[in-house]
Amino acid sequence: MTSQPFVAMNQIDKSFNGVPVLKKVTLEVEKGEIHALLGENGAGKSTLMNILGGVHQPDSGEICIEGKQVNMANPHISQAHGISFIHQELNMVGDLKVYENMFLGSEIRNKAGFLNVEEMCRQTREILAELGVFLNPKEYVRNLATSYKQLIEISKALLHKSQLIIMDEPTTSLAEHEVGRLFELMRNLKKSGVSIIYISHKLKEIQAICDRYTVLRDGQLVKTDDMQSGNLEEITKLMVGKAISQERFVHEHEFGELALEVERLSSPGLFKEIDFTVRKGQIVGFTGLAGDGRTELFESLFGYRKKYTGTIKVKGKAMKITHPRTALQAGMGYVPKDRKENAIIKDLSVVHNMSLSSMGNFERLGFIQDKRELEKFSSYKKALNIKVANPRITIDKLSGGNQQKVIIAKWLEADTDILIFDNPTQGIDVGAKQEIYQEILELAKLGKAIIILSSEAPEVLRICHVINVMYHGEITARFMGDETDEEEIMHYATGAKREGEHIG
Amino acid sequence: MDNINTKEYSPESPSMKSRLSWLWSEYSVIIAFIIIFIAASVMNPRFLDINNQLNILMQVSIIGIIALGMTVVMLSGGIDLSVGSVLALAGVISVLALNASGSILIGVFTALLIGAFAGFLNGLMVAKGRIASFIATLGMMAAARSIALYIAEGGSVSGEVSGFTAIANNNVWIFDLPVLIFFAMAVLIYIVMHKTRFGRYVYALGSNEKAAMLSAIRVDRIKIGVYTLIGTLVGVAAVIETSRLNSISSSSSGAQYELDAIAAVIIGGTRMTGGRGKIIGTIFGILILGILNNMMNLMNVSPHLQGFVKGLIIIIAVVFQKRE
Repeated sequence: MTSQPFVAMNQIDKSFNGVPVLKKVTLEVEKGEIHALLGENGAGKSTLMNILGGVHQPDSGEICIEGKQVNMANPHISQAHGISFIHQELNMVGDLKVYENMFLGSEIRNKAGFLNVEEMCRQTREILAELGVFLNPKEYVRNLATSYKQLIEISKALLHKSQLIIMDEPTTSLAEHEVGRLFELMRNLKKSGVSIIYISHKLKEIQAICDRYTVLRDGQLVKTDDMQSGNLEEITKLMVGKAISQERFVHEHEFGELALEVERLSSPGLFKEIDFTVRKGQIVGFTGLAGDGRTELFESLFGYRKKYTGTIKVKGKAMKITHPRTALQAGMGYVPKDRKENAIIKDLSVVHNMSLSSMGNFERLGFIQDKRELEKFSSYKKALNIKVANPRITIDKLSGGNQQKVIIAKWLEADTDILIFDNPTQGIDVGAKQEIYQEILELAKLGKAIIILSSEAPEVLRICHVINVMYHGEITARFMGDETDEEEIMHYATGAKREGEHIG
Repeated sequence: MDNINTKEYSPESPSMKSRLSWLWSEYSVIIAFIIIFIAASVMNPRFLDINNQLNILMQVSIIGIIALGMTVVMLSGGIDLSVGSVLALAGVISVLALNASGSILIGVFTALLIGAFAGFLNGLMVAKGRIASFIATLGMMAAARSIALYIAEGGSVSGEVSGFTAIANNNVWIFDLPVLIFFAMAVLIYIVMHKTRFGRYVYALGSNEKAAMLSAIRVDRIKIGVYTLIGTLVGVAAVIETSRLNSISSSSSGAQYELDAIAAVIIGGTRMTGGRGKIIGTIFGILILGILNNMMNLMNVSPHLQGFVKGLIIIIAVVFQKRE
């Protein structure tokens, strides 16, 4: 390693409203290094990166770039030093085309001052091809799947010839083969001397790609070390302050009667001929790559989409589900993916989010009883270990894990027997993830029928009794949870192998 | 309104500055009201006269009732431009019904019914037809005015039943009846918005429609309910408007009421895109507008300039809200 790191942040202190968020944090990133920044939600990762990106100013401490002290007063200064930030949230303009998004604010013009569309399209195509994506640069972004949007976001940073790229959870909505491509690209960048700060909750990815890591906990630096010298369990321990197992959960309970039977469910262009059953107490998983139709399948099953054919039987009775309300009446609850867009009502308080689907439980003579809502919430708060001091604050102030628990509480309060979870641990830190799994398992033990959709094969492998693999709107394989592995699932998910029915 | 606890954001000893900024963000419209009120009292001693104060209340009561409904519509993420025209239409038809039947009760009910029906149609267009509320109610605005003009042949219609004028011109103690109706409606809407599931659903829908629907809320029905509610309130306003002079003009009654109502809601701090705002804010918003009008009249500002001042105030209000 050279003696002079590309970026050095020394003794950074930062507090918001008197609450210290960072306490004397030091971070050094070498040239051509992929550096993992780890920590649970709220550990201070984002704040530290925002300081580097010029969004926030540190209370004390200094930032040096190639040995020279720099005052990062605003994001432009940061950009001028070759730092680019790929945010977790996608900043795409849906009504603009792919190339227009890529070059937004830095359009290429020809001599006459008009836009040079052909050149921009060519560069867009080139950069996307490096990521293994072949898209028409003139496609509107709103027509693209989330994973493509994320890849475009990444390409945008590449376009600007950055010296240091900060990636905040870049793989949340990517399928595994896309992740593979991204990693290849990151290795190439590294070779050409670009440094990368990589923020992720997925430790396996970090082990695969990163050279060194820095762990933050409660705003303090816990450890910086070479990746090789640490193992995953040790790093997890550093992050949460205790050990967490990655083992498959042991299931020791009997299944009850059939809760949900789905026969020949089809929707043109989205999914076709879907058959499956779920018993009470059973956890059934669905996995696959982006675009496999699983989310659309369950949005239809829950009544959010209406154009489908086939039969749905709930507890033996055929149901016509045309609205989420009828799904709820049939006893179904749905914890959607992309929590911010689909699940939380950010202007409502935590309590009100909890009670939203079961207002009838809190009314007397048509009037809402605040006290009853609060009492009920405190019982869920205890049962699900929701960390919130004042339940009257709006839900967007909670961490992802706690938000998810509130959404789960919402469906428990609505007394649903069938619970559908779509990417239940998306953007949730390791400790809270474990709690969510534990909670899902508890619910299964209580006799609820559970369906889990996940883009991560390891997730369904850890907790599901039965795993369905989907590819292009069809179920291509079905396994018992303990009789398959990631590799086999990938074969079916990529369409490399297909089999009508395969029950181990 | 929930008193949002400051403990959550601030540590043991919140600084004076952060406490002030919290107070400002939560109650800016009330603070602005107090400032304007004090300024008005200093500038013109006649302002504080009790009769003048009651006069202001009387003048804002009609727009105030409409603005209450507008708050609900805007909380749901929509807007209703048709209120002024629907007021004229409901007024015209109710006077005809009143004269034909000789019953004040039937006249009043007709106004409410016409208002509610027009609102229901708006709701259908927005919820089932998936037409943007701006467009749907713009269409209704033109259509309702046109029908009113057609029925009244472009002129005014007058009541011929004695006692109808009592609705708007009687007093209870020192208050004019319309003021009391406005207060009663304000209390009613407050309760609906904060104590019933309808109100909760309106906030949810305005904040995040997809999440509200995925929470098993019948979003369509709530939307229809929201527009029917404002339509009914417009019906109430139409009764007062008609009763005040015992006549209603198909061409000029209700003109630009939608602008004043929307202005009151915006000044009151309700977010244009829905999900956030308070009934109490709208009440102070309408009072601010009333005081400004009153002051300009007392100080002999040309009526042609009054719109300019109103426009300025709306823009200033929005600029201040942007700061959060």
